[in-house]
Amino acid sequence: MQHNPLILAFDTSAAHCAAALLSGDKVIATGFEEMARGQAERLMPLLEQVLAEAGVAWKDLSAIGVGIGPGNFTGIRISVSAARGLALSLGIPAIGVSSLEAQAIDAARPVWSLIDARRDHLYAQYLRPNGDDEAPSLLSAREAAALDGARVGPDALGDPAPAIARIAASRITKAAKAPIPRPAPLYIRTADAAPPRDPAPLILP
Amino acid sequence: MTKTVTLLGLESSCDDTAAAVVRHTPGALPEILSSVIAGQTDLHADFGGIVPEIAARAHAEKLDICVEEALIQANLHLSDLDGIAVTAGPGLIGGVVAGVMCAKGLAAGSGLPLIGVNHLAGHALTPRLTDQAPFPYLILLVSGGHCQFLIAKGPDDFTRLGGTIDDAPGEAFDKTAKLLGLPQPGGPSVEGEAKTGDPNRFKFPRPLLDRPGCDMSFSGLKTALLRERDRLVAEHGGLRHADRADLCAGFQAAVADVLAEKSRRALAKYLQLSPGTPALSVAGGVAANMTIRGALESVCDDAGTTFLAPPLALCTDNAAMIAWAGIERFRAGERDDMTLQARPRWPLDQQAPAMLGSGKKGAKA
Repeated sequence: MQHNPLILAFDTSAAHCAAALLSGDKVIATGFEEMARGQAERLMPLLEQVLAEAGVAWKDLSAIGVGIGPGNFTGIRISVSAARGLALSLGIPAIGVSSLEAQAIDAARPVWSLIDARRDHLYAQYLRPNGDDEAPSLLSAREAAALDGARVGPDALGDPAPAIARIAASRITKAAKAPIPRPAPLYIRTADAAPPRDPAPLILP
Repeated sequence: MTKTVTLLGLESSCDDTAAAVVRHTPGALPEILSSVIAGQTDLHADFGGIVPEIAARAHAEKLDICVEEALIQANLHLSDLDGIAVTAGPGLIGGVVAGVMCAKGLAAGSGLPLIGVNHLAGHALTPRLTDQAPFPYLILLVSGGHCQFLIAKGPDDFTRLGGTIDDAPGEAFDKTAKLLGLPQPGGPSVEGEAKTGDPNRFKFPRPLLDRPGCDMSFSGLKTALLRERDRLVAEHGGLRHADRADLCAGFQAAVADVLAEKSRRALAKYLQLSPGTPALSVAGGVAANMTIRGALESVCDDAGTTFLAPPLALCTDNAAMIAWAGIERFRAGERDDMTLQARPRWPLDQQAPAMLGSGKKGAKA
């Protein structure tokens, strides 16, 4: 392992473009811009800006941390796709970190982590002290209101990039030599798609 | 420029995730060093059509894997390449965004230039990849999402002579298959069923043949087919195999007739340019249909024009055509930066008036 691993983390899962550069245990540069659209055009220039601010180059990175949602589907794909491209071209791992985990990084566990899922629903995950977390799920506002115990969210997030970087760093340490899976979007909600309304006719011999 | 250029191409604008490496040395034939395609037919099978969100999800998790595979098959590293070409539109925007962002990540990390390619230019320039067709040539782009006649005068110079004002033929084949209980994709299943059918039993309309010009319409044909199907089902309590075969044959004959007649008109206009070696090339998945291909071939024979039909794997969506179109742009000195935008709509001929979707997002084609 390198003496001071350098991790670039970024997230576009909500109405922002966020990036943070972590050196060892210190965040040495960040960039955060609120934006409802245009993340696909803004993300890479913002990352280059953050690297330049710290005086480092792409090839100096030891890993990528990327926000995998839940959140805006297209926004999640913007970051995850870029992270996969970067990981391949730099020959370094990309580590996917969920927003549910990122926003709860400093919260005392056990805790319910909640994120607004719109349409009167919330994404929810129960995070345990030992890291043996429940799978995240989609709850109605009513179900979420009835949850027992401490909670973080649904609007605590702010800039998630520093937390994503720190969690990614801890994963690398933990993973040691085990392979790190490629980052994959955490959608939770299934794609809106219905089978065709008009059934096929009965076919006679 | 005499330098050898090797580009990686990425394609994710519809339901095929693809990556390819193409190399070209001036004076030599272009070489497709690898061409990897991961289809999604099974993912969409239950829905009777492509679901954009399902397509986007698959692209985002497959693209980098296809790129790795394409590099392995070409036996090259990213550092051996001269640039990265990616489809930047038109198409289903979720997939296009995933492709553009993956390409940006690849370009940033490797330090290679990024080249955004119009998906339609990829199809339209394929005759130069496969047959070194000299400009100007006529191209009929006929697929599940597009149908238009273009005169290709240069790598970035296209004149549209006409196109569909509603459905694309590939879409009509898919809908026909769906209406008749045949599997998707509709092209091969309708063609297979039509083999035993009588193309003359049902008189389906040939829309817009009575009007001058090269514009086409296919939505009325689908409605006529639905009406015949419903009549047959009401009469027999279901659709008989033989009736279904006749419906398929009649539908296919109507599409072939329209494409042939409009090709005749497009050729006449194109030949006014007095091209040195006149050629009509087809591109798009519908070019796989043998009845349609035969009809176009005989139109070309009548007009003394060479008929070019690229191999099927290069007619349907693929990334080799994107890498090739990227090479043409690269040689012209064109590069994109990290603000390259994914565009759902991006007509090849920017001058011609919009035919489809002239809403606030601009013309689709």
